[in-house]
Amino acid sequence: MTSVANESTSSGTIAVSAIAPSHDNRGSWIPNGAMIKTKIMELRKRRGLMAALIVVNIGVPTIFLLVRLIAHAVAPKSYGPAGGYAIYTDLVAGVMYVFGFIVAATLGCTAGSSDLTDGMFRHSVITGRSRLALYFARIPAGLAIVVPLVAVGFTIVCAVCVFAAPTQLNYQGVNIPPGLTATGFNHWAADHPKEVICGLPYNGPEGVPCFINGHGKVVVGGKSFPPGAPTFKTMSHTQIETLAVKVAKQNYADYARTFLYPSNALMIRTGLWIELEAIIGLIVGLGLASLMGQRTVPVVLMIVLEVILTPIFSRTPIAHLINVQRGLVGLATDHLEPGGLPHAFGGGNGPGQVAQLVPESRTVAVLVIVAWLVGWTALGAWRMVKRDA
Amino acid sequence: MSVSSVDETTTTNSEDSRWAVETHGLTKRFGDNVAVNDVELLVPRGCAFGYLGPNGAGKTTLIRVLLGLTHADKGTMALLGVPVPRHRDRALARVGAIVDEPRFHGHLSGRQNLEILAASRERAARGRIDSSLERVGMTHRADDRVSKYSMGMRQRLGVAACLLGDPQLLILDEPMNGLDPAGMHEMRDMILSLVAEGRTVMLSSHLLDEVERTCDAVAIVDHGKVIRQGSITELLAGSAMELEVGCSSPERARTVLAASPLGERVDVETSGLSIHLPVGTGRDAIAEINRLLVEDGIAVYHLEQLQVSLESWFLQVTSRLGEHE
Repeated sequence: MTSVANESTSSGTIAVSAIAPSHDNRGSWIPNGAMIKTKIMELRKRRGLMAALIVVNIGVPTIFLLVRLIAHAVAPKSYGPAGGYAIYTDLVAGVMYVFGFIVAATLGCTAGSSDLTDGMFRHSVITGRSRLALYFARIPAGLAIVVPLVAVGFTIVCAVCVFAAPTQLNYQGVNIPPGLTATGFNHWAADHPKEVICGLPYNGPEGVPCFINGHGKVVVGGKSFPPGAPTFKTMSHTQIETLAVKVAKQNYADYARTFLYPSNALMIRTGLWIELEAIIGLIVGLGLASLMGQRTVPVVLMIVLEVILTPIFSRTPIAHLINVQRGLVGLATDHLEPGGLPHAFGGGNGPGQVAQLVPESRTVAVLVIVAWLVGWTALGAWRMVKRDA
Repeated sequence: MSVSSVDETTTTNSEDSRWAVETHGLTKRFGDNVAVNDVELLVPRGCAFGYLGPNGAGKTTLIRVLLGLTHADKGTMALLGVPVPRHRDRALARVGAIVDEPRFHGHLSGRQNLEILAASRERAARGRIDSSLERVGMTHRADDRVSKYSMGMRQRLGVAACLLGDPQLLILDEPMNGLDPAGMHEMRDMILSLVAEGRTVMLSSHLLDEVERTCDAVAIVDHGKVIRQGSITELLAGSAMELEVGCSSPERARTVLAASPLGERVDVETSGLSIHLPVGTGRDAIAEINRLLVEDGIAVYHLEQLQVSLESWFLQVTSRLGEHE
């Protein structure tokens, strides 16, 4: 380095370089590692924001599961196990999916607007660094925070749901041993005819007036049966067993999809799915905030999109707007939801619920997601380049 | 007109250029308002250069255009001989600047803010953080949150941010803003020391006295247009002369001088006369005034040529403009 002044001294004097610095790719649109690292630091040091994100994404499910663990430990007869398959599916599809998106969107909106609102954008532009690089540094920085945050919350849910799962399968309110074959299920039904007949749904001409109460006990009687209907007293043992097996056969397919706890494959697929949702929230929030130059309104818009618009337009086909509806990113991610989960935002109890959504092929769903990611990134980057600093 | 239409071919494209800042016909409009109007500016290297003008004259806008914070509508410009915006990455690599009030991430410390800015510069910039903080006297507060800094401390941090890039050119917009007298004194010393190291410092300021003490050369801008530029010595030498005369009969002396072509404006004061001589008046005029008064029987006790300050010259120049309009 050629200098026209003395080198650095103890008094802090800095030598002035007479030539431009060596090639440092300053004009490149690709951010360097230090830019990403310092952007992570800038976001991570926002204590209020990080605390809110941790509370929403990790704290809420953790407290929910903790309360269930304590309740079950104190009064196991009154409160079921904290974990299990049903809890897993409800938490993942009902809480983590939505909260993960909102958390990621909030972080994305912050990352997309903090330089502007804090007045640092101008300093950064003056360094001569490409504005595109300044924008693109925010994406890996945001992901480096959101992905682990979602993963930690999800891991806690998985751990509790697996290790605190019930020992007996509670299917339709009836405790049934898990993992039975079709024959084994029939045998079990023959051995427990009253539970099967009174507890499991049955679509057939025969019926016995009974039901399973909240404590898992068979209660004989029922208003929906006409006087003179067969009862356990009027039926022979063979008739009861035969009816129980018929009921069991109708329910086996559904039973076979019900587990004590989620399988590894389901947990992996679900984890990837909610991470995808979080990534979408981050990227879209980043682009929207960069476009608008502020944080609050984009965060509100993202929440409205996720919590109000997507549920409504995903389930209510409007003939003239069907293709617009198919362009909703929330609908697209719903169509990529792993089988075995209830539908996001409730309203369903299994994979069959996907039929209630506005129809869309998986290919179109993937294309919609890619279009949202690319489109919002392009819009945010374009505004970053064109904006007066 | 877009950035791409800004002609850069006529600007000197050489890093050996003697000009730190060079603009030709630079124009920036906001609707009908021409904020920067056909500006021809040449800032020599290795000096402190003042960019002066009344409020709303377009000083900050010109700086923003130079730094690529907003685009120009017309004209050419170069920083350190490198055309911008075409090669802004190369040009800005050796430029540090503060524009408007320096603002930073309030939730981070001064050092962390500098780390963010250093990351966008070359690798060596990260090694200059400590020395930059030391240079502006911020080492002891470097790890405090910026939200706890005073305005003056943020100004210092802004200068430290400028120094990260080991700049050949510093552009400081109102660097004295928010500084107390001691802080202004330190800032002035710092600017002078930066110039002594061979750097160029271009500063805009309303504080003409500070500029006069700090800068070697100035440009005056009004209504977006540069109306005068050059070294302060040269510019003041070409300004109107003011003469203070102590005499026995000021009223009669004024009548005598008013009848002659010498006095542009003659004011009677308690101790004598204050005479404003037109621009370009030579020293012989002083002797001629003395001769006229003595020949008329007026006792002359003293004749003193008052030194014209930058402030009075600035007011002369800008008020004259007002008269023309």
